[in-house]
Amino acid sequence: MTDPVGLAESDALHARARAFVRAFEQGGAAPEPFDALALDLARFQARHVPGYARLCAARGVDPGRIREAAEAPAVPTDAFKLATVFAFPADQACVTFRTSGTTIGARGAHPMRITATYDGAALAFGRAMLAPHFEPPVPVLVLGPSEQEAPDSSLAHMCATFARAWGTGAWFLRGGEPDVEGLRRHIAELGPARPAVILATSLALAHLIDLAASLPLPAGSRVMQTGGFKGRKREVDAAELRRSVARLFALPEGDVVGEYGMTELSSQFWEGAPGVYREPPWARVVPVHPESLAPVPHGDVGIARIEDLANVDSAFAVLAADLVRRVDGGFELLGRAAGAPPRGCSIAVDEMLGGR
Amino acid sequence: MRGVDERIEDVRRLLAAARGVYERRQELVPSLVRTTGLSPEGVLLGFDSLERDASDAALRSLVESAGDATHVHVILSANVFVGALRALALARAAAARVTIRPSSRDPVLTQALVAAARDPALSITSERDPGVVGADRIDVYGGAAAIEQVRACAARGVTIRAHGPGLGVAFVTRAADPAEASRLLARDVVVFDQRGCLSPRLVTVEGDAARAESFAASLHASLAEWAERVPRGTLGDDERADARRWQESLAFAGRVWSGPEHVVGLGDRLLVPPTGRHVQVLPASDAPSASTLLAPIAAAIVTVGSDDSQQVRHLAPPHARIAALGQMQRPPLDGPVDRRSA
Repeated sequence: MTDPVGLAESDALHARARAFVRAFEQGGAAPEPFDALALDLARFQARHVPGYARLCAARGVDPGRIREAAEAPAVPTDAFKLATVFAFPADQACVTFRTSGTTIGARGAHPMRITATYDGAALAFGRAMLAPHFEPPVPVLVLGPSEQEAPDSSLAHMCATFARAWGTGAWFLRGGEPDVEGLRRHIAELGPARPAVILATSLALAHLIDLAASLPLPAGSRVMQTGGFKGRKREVDAAELRRSVARLFALPEGDVVGEYGMTELSSQFWEGAPGVYREPPWARVVPVHPESLAPVPHGDVGIARIEDLANVDSAFAVLAADLVRRVDGGFELLGRAAGAPPRGCSIAVDEMLGGR
Repeated sequence: MRGVDERIEDVRRLLAAARGVYERRQELVPSLVRTTGLSPEGVLLGFDSLERDASDAALRSLVESAGDATHVHVILSANVFVGALRALALARAAAARVTIRPSSRDPVLTQALVAAARDPALSITSERDPGVVGADRIDVYGGAAAIEQVRACAARGVTIRAHGPGLGVAFVTRAADPAEASRLLARDVVVFDQRGCLSPRLVTVEGDAARAESFAASLHASLAEWAERVPRGTLGDDERADARRWQESLAFAGRVWSGPEHVVGLGDRLLVPPTGRHVQVLPASDAPSASTLLAPIAAAIVTVGSDDSQQVRHLAPPHARIAALGQMQRPPLDGPVDRRSA
């Protein structure tokens, strides 16, 4: 036994995942069928993530015998709050991303042994979808926490990765509030001929709109907006927010691009057309029936089963709590599945989570 | 001002009405099956929790907790079906005039009780705007959104007594026989298909993981037996979806025992199960450990069931009722079921 904890096997799987990313960057075909790597990931994870082995056993699935990725059970995002979801010794983790807290305390944890696969995947698809025409160095303006402020935030890590790779980064969120004057000064210093990228959460953008009427960006700039308002006191309609953001920065609405990601994944999804999100070639989003977990017909709404080949050391298939629908060109994101309102006086699980 | 004895008599008249309704419960079963989603057997089992008598001491306590008002308006936006009796009793103890807006989804028992009571002080209204009923107190039962809506609509100066949703938990001590404890607890789970705020959804079992596993297996067997006698009613699409997601999560984190109409999950970290006969069993080395496990949801706990009424006081939140296993759904008529608002 030369690889008792599977590190060499993990390294090889990471390399195969990164080959998908490289091929995409070079405009080439995928290096191997999606399901070939997905099945090897399912088998590897069943051997090295005890919870996944239990889930497979409970579902009567033998990972060694399945023929398609779709046959492998998906790990619910709640499992990241309940148990360890990683395939390596705990002391090998170089970073642990955590989900936001809830009133019932539990935060999901997604430790990583290697971030190169995450970073490469994020950069390749993020660049293609957000800033394909930009020549580095690109000014990256972040309306979100920095890595130093939020070392366990995967979003902060992604934004910092973009800033490091594309040019210069500057952060404009202080104690959760947008630093409007700092942002205004920074934009003024850019000059009219230097388009910038703004990376922001929807909540930060909504605050910014409350505080500033106009912050015109150089033509050609792009804005990433990500995240919803679940558990927050304010709710803003997505289309209305996009219009307001475009007006604020004096950009066409099409230059405000939605991003969909989550702590439990290593890949992100970006809007290709308004409201329609696209997957990179190394990930796919399958709407499944919330009870049977079987794929629903094209065009029907289901829970998002996300297969992410970059999630090498955790869960290649994740069952999210978001409702999605396949449409031409990608998928629509339709919000979170509501917890069932009990017919009696029992508390709904969702009500306990409401104070996030 | 009405005296205590007069108020107790008014509540006793309601209890007499409840006895009359109970006697003809078979007639009400078809309607209640439609409105509650319970099976016919589930409705009849639920009727066992309808208060039909109470001691003087309990009623004195109820009157004391009921407060005083001229006119109480009761809004039953969501409750287990027998909950109407206690809501009416509290309002009638407080006021000489009570108007009631029953739940639009489940008005059956409220209507039956009011009709049987023949009490001119009680009247049902369909008025949806609590701001225009003219009451000086509103007792509202329901979810957080419904309560907020009532607060927003109520006229200035009106007292609001809000009774929000909650859940039950249980603590099985080291001294308990797992088979007996699980047999008793299963009844508490099955009543109202676990949709009551007294229904246990989490069970902490004192001892090691093996003991918790043994209890979970016993509970699985007990719930399977109950399903033969009292089939589960219909679950909504959302309830079934929640159940599947919870089951998959527990299968990953621990172990699940799935019956045709229930699921028992074992795990050492808390994931509140959905209603519909789903229970999570958690091992706890002692009562303080159980208290720590349950701390994140302490504010939502309405009752704690246990085989040891003394030990359980060390872990129950101060507001929670304490009940014996098998009796969690039958609290004495001594005040609101949910004491969090007291």
